[in-house]
Amino acid sequence: MNSLVKSIIVLGGVSLQSVNAFTSISRSNVADISTTSLNVYGTPRKVQIIPSVLPADFGKLGADCKRLEEAGCDRVQFDVMDGNFVPNVTFGPETIRWCRKYTNMPFETQLMVSEKCTDAMLEEFVEVSKGPNGEPGVVIVHVEACTHLHRALGRIRAAGGSPSVALNPHTPAEMIENVLDLVDHVLVMTVNPGFGGQAYIPTMTEKIKKIRKWIVDRDLDVDIEVDGGIKATQETIGECAAAGANCFIAGSGLFAYDDLSEGVKELTDMALEAQGVAVGAK
Amino acid sequence: MYHCCPGQIGPSVLDCDMADLAKEGKRALDAGASYLHLDVMDGHFVPNISFGPYVIECLRKHLPDVFFDCHMMTTHPENWVEKVAKAQGSKPGLLCYTFHYEATEPRGITQKVIDLIKANNMKVGLTLSPDTPVEALLKYGDQIDLALIMTVYPGKGGQSFIEEMMEKVRTIRAAYPDMDIEVDGGVKPKTVDMAAKAGANLIVSGSGVYKAEDMANNISIMQRSVEKYGLEIIATN
Repeated sequence: MNSLVKSIIVLGGVSLQSVNAFTSISRSNVADISTTSLNVYGTPRKVQIIPSVLPADFGKLGADCKRLEEAGCDRVQFDVMDGNFVPNVTFGPETIRWCRKYTNMPFETQLMVSEKCTDAMLEEFVEVSKGPNGEPGVVIVHVEACTHLHRALGRIRAAGGSPSVALNPHTPAEMIENVLDLVDHVLVMTVNPGFGGQAYIPTMTEKIKKIRKWIVDRDLDVDIEVDGGIKATQETIGECAAAGANCFIAGSGLFAYDDLSEGVKELTDMALEAQGVAVGAK
Repeated sequence: MYHCCPGQIGPSVLDCDMADLAKEGKRALDAGASYLHLDVMDGHFVPNISFGPYVIECLRKHLPDVFFDCHMMTTHPENWVEKVAKAQGSKPGLLCYTFHYEATEPRGITQKVIDLIKANNMKVGLTLSPDTPVEALLKYGDQIDLALIMTVYPGKGGQSFIEEMMEKVRTIRAAYPDMDIEVDGGVKPKTVDMAAKAGANLIVSGSGVYKAEDMANNISIMQRSVEKYGLEIIATN
């Protein structure tokens, strides 16, 4: 966003249409909005609620994925853990491949695995994460697990996936500053990865804001996703949305609702409100 | 010496629909399988990731009365004992924690892991990869409930049965007539006779069950082989 627009916003009272005249908004992920005030830096991006399969019943994972699709979820996240990068083992590519039979929802695969597994299995994960007609699925590699992150992100794109990079809580945003042009999506971990049910780490809010500013100032088409302790509260989803995140991983926070679609709606509304978007617009 | 260990077929779920594990498990059990062999792979001990303790816990809720043999192909089997122990069945003795000698002996913790498994009320299984000599298992023979002899190099399904491993099975059976001896890797109707003649009584089969045209028939063939040759071993002793 150029400095002229920034100063107009500082003066206040500017309609969104004027702001739009200065910014390029012809992207599919930009929200259809009608408001006169903006909480988030830059034009808000579409809010997406993305459940993690971690709390699901792994005796019938396909059926649980179907249930999430019916509840209106935008895509579903598969948390792959290898017991080495994180202190937990979840599942591998075959599980994800079989889930595709049960749902048309886009898949997102977060690789919480060490560099050895990332190097050996990256293309396999890209393949099983694809959509029902071969559409690119999001594949997230951890910056901490990729000595050659630039190359790894290129491999995802070359194999037909949508590249993304994740940062553990201690990892400074600067670690991904030089690869923002290669990704469609950045994942800021808001808990230490490995288990569900943890509490949001409030110091992550500033990291989100920093990355959001780079994305907006460099005019990049990149989503920011947050994962960990996200619930329908001002302190978690509210704070993250206002800071610039637009994709929200909900694990136990979503499965706590008996009616998942109600959970999706509550989370979405709270995020929209925090972005400064009129509730009801999506 | 005699061998009267019941012959049982334990399908490996690696070759089934892993998004519908409970139903797939039931399908094999209804077709005559006696237990389920659950292959946990961590991408490090073997070059593949399958599933972890939480998947086993979920499966247990659907199948409370079935014997689970958890084959831990992980670099640190000691880390998962307590988590897998959460998948106890409806009564004692329905959960076996089978770990690799190669993952513990170099670090001098094989005994520690055996003790940890027992402290968590599970049966102890010890397994050897093809290149590890049988003496490794005999060293702990008095303390284990189950010996698993790998007849392929662990990591992926669909490999060919390594016949030379039968010498290990014969040696263990001679030393421990009452022990459950399991074979895993490339075991199908065509190869099961070799395993049964050597004295194995627990047969793991993945593609031999889940990719079979007639699952019940394949299971039955393998079951009959173990019963026939197990009885013959009794007769000749």
